[in-house]
Amino acid sequence: MATTGNKNINAKLVLLGDVGAGKSSLVLRFVKGQFVEFQESTIGAAFFSQTLAVNDATVKFEIWDTAGQERYHSLAPMYYRGAAAAIIVYDISNQASFERAKKWVQELQAQGNPNMVMALAGNKADLLDARKVPAEATKVYAEENGLFFMETSAKTAANVNDIFYEIAKRLPRVQPAPNPSGMVLMDRPGERTASSSCCA
Amino acid sequence: MQETDLHDLSDDADYAASIQQGSSSMMGSDSSKRSSPSEPEGAEVVYSKDNVTIHPTQFASERISGRLKLIKQGSSLFMTWIPYKGQNSAARLSEKDRSLYTIRAVPFTDVRSIRRHTPALGWQYIIVVLSSGLAYPPLYFYSGGVREFLATIKQHVFLVRSAEDANVFLVNDFQNPLQRTLSSLELPRVVSVASGPSTPSPVSDSPSNESSSISQVNGRQRLKVHDPARDISIQVLEKFSLVTRFARETTSQLFRESHSNGFGAFEKRYNNQSVEDFSHKASNDEEKTVDEIPVAPDPLEVDKLTLVWGKPRQPPLGSEEWATFLDNERRVMDSKALRKRIFYGGVEHKLRREVWAFLLGYHAYDSTYAEREYHRSIKKSEYETIKNQWQSISSEQARRFTKFRERKGLIDKDVVRTDRSLAFYDGDDNPNVNLLRDILLTYSFYNFDLGYCQGMSDLLSPILFVMKDESESFWCFVALMERLGPNFNRDQNGMHSQLFALSKLVELLDSPLHNYFKQNDCLNYFFCFRWVLIQFKREFEYEKTMRLWEVLWTHYLSEHLHLYVCVAILKRYRNKIMGEQMDFDTLLKFINELSGRVDLDAILRDAEALCICAGENGAACIPPGTPPSLPIDNGLLHFQQDDEVL
Repeated sequence: MATTGNKNINAKLVLLGDVGAGKSSLVLRFVKGQFVEFQESTIGAAFFSQTLAVNDATVKFEIWDTAGQERYHSLAPMYYRGAAAAIIVYDISNQASFERAKKWVQELQAQGNPNMVMALAGNKADLLDARKVPAEATKVYAEENGLFFMETSAKTAANVNDIFYEIAKRLPRVQPAPNPSGMVLMDRPGERTASSSCCA
Repeated sequence: MQETDLHDLSDDADYAASIQQGSSSMMGSDSSKRSSPSEPEGAEVVYSKDNVTIHPTQFASERISGRLKLIKQGSSLFMTWIPYKGQNSAARLSEKDRSLYTIRAVPFTDVRSIRRHTPALGWQYIIVVLSSGLAYPPLYFYSGGVREFLATIKQHVFLVRSAEDANVFLVNDFQNPLQRTLSSLELPRVVSVASGPSTPSPVSDSPSNESSSISQVNGRQRLKVHDPARDISIQVLEKFSLVTRFARETTSQLFRESHSNGFGAFEKRYNNQSVEDFSHKASNDEEKTVDEIPVAPDPLEVDKLTLVWGKPRQPPLGSEEWATFLDNERRVMDSKALRKRIFYGGVEHKLRREVWAFLLGYHAYDSTYAEREYHRSIKKSEYETIKNQWQSISSEQARRFTKFRERKGLIDKDVVRTDRSLAFYDGDDNPNVNLLRDILLTYSFYNFDLGYCQGMSDLLSPILFVMKDESESFWCFVALMERLGPNFNRDQNGMHSQLFALSKLVELLDSPLHNYFKQNDCLNYFFCFRWVLIQFKREFEYEKTMRLWEVLWTHYLSEHLHLYVCVAILKRYRNKIMGEQMDFDTLLKFINELSGRVDLDAILRDAEALCICAGENGAACIPPGTPPSLPIDNGLLHFQQDDEVL
């Protein structure tokens, strides 16, 4: 859950997605500004934190990076439980990873917190020549499912900070008073459609 | 919610069954009060109990059962414990062991105290401490009867319950019962019995002791109820009795060393550490945090224990010494001595290729060189056959074989990111990376039910690095997976049983830390998941990992030394963990970031000390069949891993 105090927000964020989609690489790019070509697989889970200033507040992300293999699926709930946000990652050069991403979306919709901010990251966007998952169809899928969608590249850093920044802006602000219902704040009118179906 | 469901084994059917099995074996025949014809004339058996058992090692097969008797002759009361004959024929129990433990007519005038233990799980047992300071191994009452035993003694000799501990019964303590409390049973006295009457106690010269009463030789009387030093002395005393055979060896060895080198063996280890040593820095950090937040004291301060128990690490086994373990046909003559040697020092790298094959069980210790060569060639062609099963899959066939494609895809993704910073796996199109892939894929056909699982490439990498040869690496990996395979079960039962055992060990060896984890919802021990799953592969640099693995593989003190290694690391950082009030998230982050910062030798010493001190109680924390123990044969050894994708 996102907790607030004096416009300082702590938000638990979980990364989910297929093996080798680039979950750890996205976090390490965001948290440490680093990229390694052969990032080792995540065993169990890893935890990171990083703070972002958005226009009206400071958001401290507490990030859970999980193991991708189906075999470890049973451990996932303990990481996404109580999360304010999730990034579901797939590899644009791998169709199966996109199918797996859709399963994660389903699971979070069924099990997760209904106010969770969900982002879909089509990672490895630098591998344009190897693209297997078309961006247009994904955009439609994301809109239908109330997801915020971006194609990212941990390698080139494209859209990496942006996706976390967008999530930070979408986190529910419980205080101060003007938003008692905890509605999602829309900073960009253009994306209202995508986000408004979030809780449907 | 989910979390507790996952890790609470209390309603696990298998675990419950294993407990039940244990308790049903308690119902063995009990022929109380049957007097034996062999008793001397004029002696009267006033108490007799069958199925009173000692546990010389952690292995259930090596337990020795016998009959405990109290015999009254004239005005004297004697205790005897005679092991049954012909029992355990399958076990490695020798007559020598049997007679080693036999208790022949000990008069109660020689007995100082009896302590009763009632563990929550398992059998009641007693420890008998003699006036000389010597303690007998714990006697487990499989058929009950401890109360009756004590009541019978009370009828015949002066027995008084200790004012300080309701489970301690002092014998013949009529002079001054209050003064002869257990606080006078200090470790050095006990130790000097084991090491010969004239050995001075080196512990008394150890430089580090605030609660120094355990290191005072001449019984200082301490009667304060909450004297931690007294608690330690009681604990150490009992541990001493608990440790049995291994400890005797260790202790006598230790004293031989300290005798010959002065007190060198007891030097405080940290004094020798280099400035670069991270764990030293970390321990400085710990000290800082202690000032900030008061932390419950460690009931078994590791430093003190390692001073007494943890042997200094030895240099690795080298070629010349290795040759002394082999006969002229290159059989290993004394595998236990070899395992012990490796336990304390590891193996030089150039010998690993030969020695690991024994440790892993790929070659039998008693095989000759020629037999091994033959075995190798047979296994090589067997490997080729299995490998050919996937190599012969055409692309047309693969198109219709989703499981194969996915499995191969997963392995391809993992091998290119396994230890690539190492020269051996470095660079584009590295042939060793391809070998990793081929071996893992072949393994996933050899053990199709288990398949490939993330973490396996970490386990294979050092094996290939050492063995070099493809088929040899494969079979050594197979041998390792015989024991670690359950770590990768889809239902996570292998991991759960280990993490469960770990929580029990911490409860036993550091209850304040256990309580801290309990209060902070950390009892699932998931922060240790990576340590256990891949045997600390990501926690140490490559060479250190290989050293640790060969030590673990000796199964010398315990098959589960890796769990004691976990406890040892947690204890090193306990003050930091509790002082900084780490919650689960912070703890996981902290533990993950310990990678590369833990001093292996120091931790191995601590782990050895903890393992010896935990003794039987430690072994009892670990449910049967917990990896890397071989699974309990339930006739369902090979069951399908019900895996949605693979």
